[in-house]
Amino acid sequence: MLDTRRSRPSRRISMRDIFRFRPADFWWLAAGIGAIALTTLVYSTWLPVANPATVSTTFLMLVLVVAASASLGAAVVVSLVSVLCFNYFFLPPVGTFTIADPQNWVAFVAFLTVSLVASNLSARVRSREREALSRRDELARLFDLSRDVLMVTDSSEAISLMARSIARRFDLAFVAIALPHATDWDVFAGGTQKIELDQHQLWSTFAAAQASLEFDASSRTYSGHRTVPSDGQEVTLVPLRSATRPIGVLAAAGRTIEPGTLDALAGIGAIAVERAQFLDERKAAELTRQSEQLKAALLASLGHDLRTPLTAIRIAATNVRDTAMSDEERMDQTSLILAEVERLTRLFQNILEMARLDAGAVAAEARWSHPSEIIEAAESQVEEALKHHRLNVRIEADMPIELDPRLAAAAIAHVLENAAQYAPDGSNIDLTAFVGSDGLVFQIQDYGPGIAPNDLPHVFERFYRGDAAQSRTSGTGMGLWIARGLLAVQSGRIWVENTADAGARFTVVIPVSTKGTVTVAGSSGTQTT
Amino acid sequence: MTQPARILLVDDEVAIQRSLGPLLRARGYTVDVSGTGRDALRLFEERTPDLVVLDLGLPDIEGTEVCRRVRAISKAPIIVLSARGADTDKVNALDLGADDYVTKPFSPDELLARIRVALRRLSRDEQDGPTGVLRAGELTIDYDRRRVLREDVEIRLTPKEFDLLSLLAQNHDRVLTHRTILKAVWGPNAVEQPEHLWTLIALLRKKIEPDPARPRYLLSEPWVGYRFAVE
Repeated sequence: MLDTRRSRPSRRISMRDIFRFRPADFWWLAAGIGAIALTTLVYSTWLPVANPATVSTTFLMLVLVVAASASLGAAVVVSLVSVLCFNYFFLPPVGTFTIADPQNWVAFVAFLTVSLVASNLSARVRSREREALSRRDELARLFDLSRDVLMVTDSSEAISLMARSIARRFDLAFVAIALPHATDWDVFAGGTQKIELDQHQLWSTFAAAQASLEFDASSRTYSGHRTVPSDGQEVTLVPLRSATRPIGVLAAAGRTIEPGTLDALAGIGAIAVERAQFLDERKAAELTRQSEQLKAALLASLGHDLRTPLTAIRIAATNVRDTAMSDEERMDQTSLILAEVERLTRLFQNILEMARLDAGAVAAEARWSHPSEIIEAAESQVEEALKHHRLNVRIEADMPIELDPRLAAAAIAHVLENAAQYAPDGSNIDLTAFVGSDGLVFQIQDYGPGIAPNDLPHVFERFYRGDAAQSRTSGTGMGLWIARGLLAVQSGRIWVENTADAGARFTVVIPVSTKGTVTVAGSSGTQTT
Repeated sequence: MTQPARILLVDDEVAIQRSLGPLLRARGYTVDVSGTGRDALRLFEERTPDLVVLDLGLPDIEGTEVCRRVRAISKAPIIVLSARGADTDKVNALDLGADDYVTKPFSPDELLARIRVALRRLSRDEQDGPTGVLRAGELTIDYDRRRVLREDVEIRLTPKEFDLLSLLAQNHDRVLTHRTILKAVWGPNAVEQPEHLWTLIALLRKKIEPDPARPRYLLSEPWVGYRFAVE
């Protein structure tokens, strides 16, 4: 089996290749004929030999040298020349092409036969070697291509990329991967040439591949290859098969590639297509799952966070309306209503902000500002939430900075609110601002219980609330997610760590442009006018 | 009951405590407030309240567990504050001995009405003692003789119908879950077969209700159970 596979292509190739003359062959031909002329001259004038066998052996040696180096054609020509010289100059009667002695006939025919057979054998060995080299080359290309497949990602762009890799690796002027798509074809083309593929030919190739799957032992391919003229070019169409099922068609043009290699190429192409489609599907499934999860989490969160304020407002309003109460009690009920309305408002704003971030509707508008301005804005947003904590602000950055101050302030407000929720009432919260190497840095340090180690990687996930926080009264699991989203809009980062002697410390870094001086007009916050 | 009823309010939301407390006090109840399950159980033993208003989502112990422990030591009515969508918790609480429930956000009147009914049932049972007869509107149910009269006319009931009616009537003004009723009337094997209950309730309503389409005694608590209303 192995032998037939090896010998078949060599037979096919030899007939074509052996009589093809390359420039080197002409040199060998000339050198061979020259050497024969020289030998003839030497033997007939300076070194007369009586025995024709000596002459024929010398000629044979020259023929073999040519056959070992040049093509069969050159070797045959050299053999014929040497035979003629042998006959004319050395076989009696010398000086004619006739041979008198029957013994010499035998010598002449033997010489002719040996020289032709030797030429042929030698040429065949070399064509085999050339073939092995080209096979090794194609294997190397296939190997490279299979590595390309591993880089296929999850988009149709990936399939185009694959077509381009095939064209590049195999020096093809045109390669296309065509995938059937309901009634027409998605064609992903690569290579330097552009060829319009005929859809009917694609369909008929595809249908034929569906109909049969035969292995053609002589050409070492699965059935279904066709070569069709398209746009004035010979295009080879090969079915792409995943397992036995055809999933598309590979079209190649520009260079003749061995059908077996083309088949292997189509196999790798099919794997790439399948892989891209699989990755696509997985991504879609993942997106669906995430969106389902999000919906469930949003509903659960809304359910919980709307219910309590609504109930409290309703009851407190009834109390104010129906009950005779002291002014103090009435004040208390009224402020309760206002606080709960505030809570609902905050919830509403969070949902709105979340939706805007999801929709990509938040854009950074950089302008000149001052760190103190940002902190003041953040403070005013969470005044109510921070009522029971002491906020210590330290600003070590006294220079104008360029960033979106609204987004920065909103993000810091969310972090402050979070700190107020988890640190006990009456505790300190430190807010420090300074300019570091990557930009403006805010650090928010609380003196609460810190964050449980297994919650640390998740605190910025949407609706994530630590185990301990699940049962807490307030908190929606949106604040830190929103803070991170707002910061990401202006390439800012946020992270959290537990400090050894205190609670959690959030660090916010926003890349900013700074000015060394405060003399530029329009920089707000630091200029006194 | 000459003394004002004492109510234990258990909810971890400060906003609910601050609004419900004044609401109940303004109606003349004495109110103790607790934010955790442990504290609630301690207060319950200390103050022996007449009624408990219990939120199921507590930070330390499950609300249903509080229900079970209170019921183990007292017959005081428990009204559960539950979240919509937490049907399982609600039903569990009722199975574990809670008497009634309201779903947040509830109206104050609704909660007050439930509290009134529960307290009245308590006092009525104390007054009546084990008389063996229940009067509700035009209905008289005589447990000992297994007879039901409407305006002195006897209504003929099958034994199962009477079992169901007497179970609901003996627990009047409490919500009995489907599970509880099925187990008591048909036995433990029937708890997954509510169709028995639907059929029998329909038959019973035809016999005792003045207008079976708009029941007055046998009230349905959708997806939870049934209650027998005395007034």
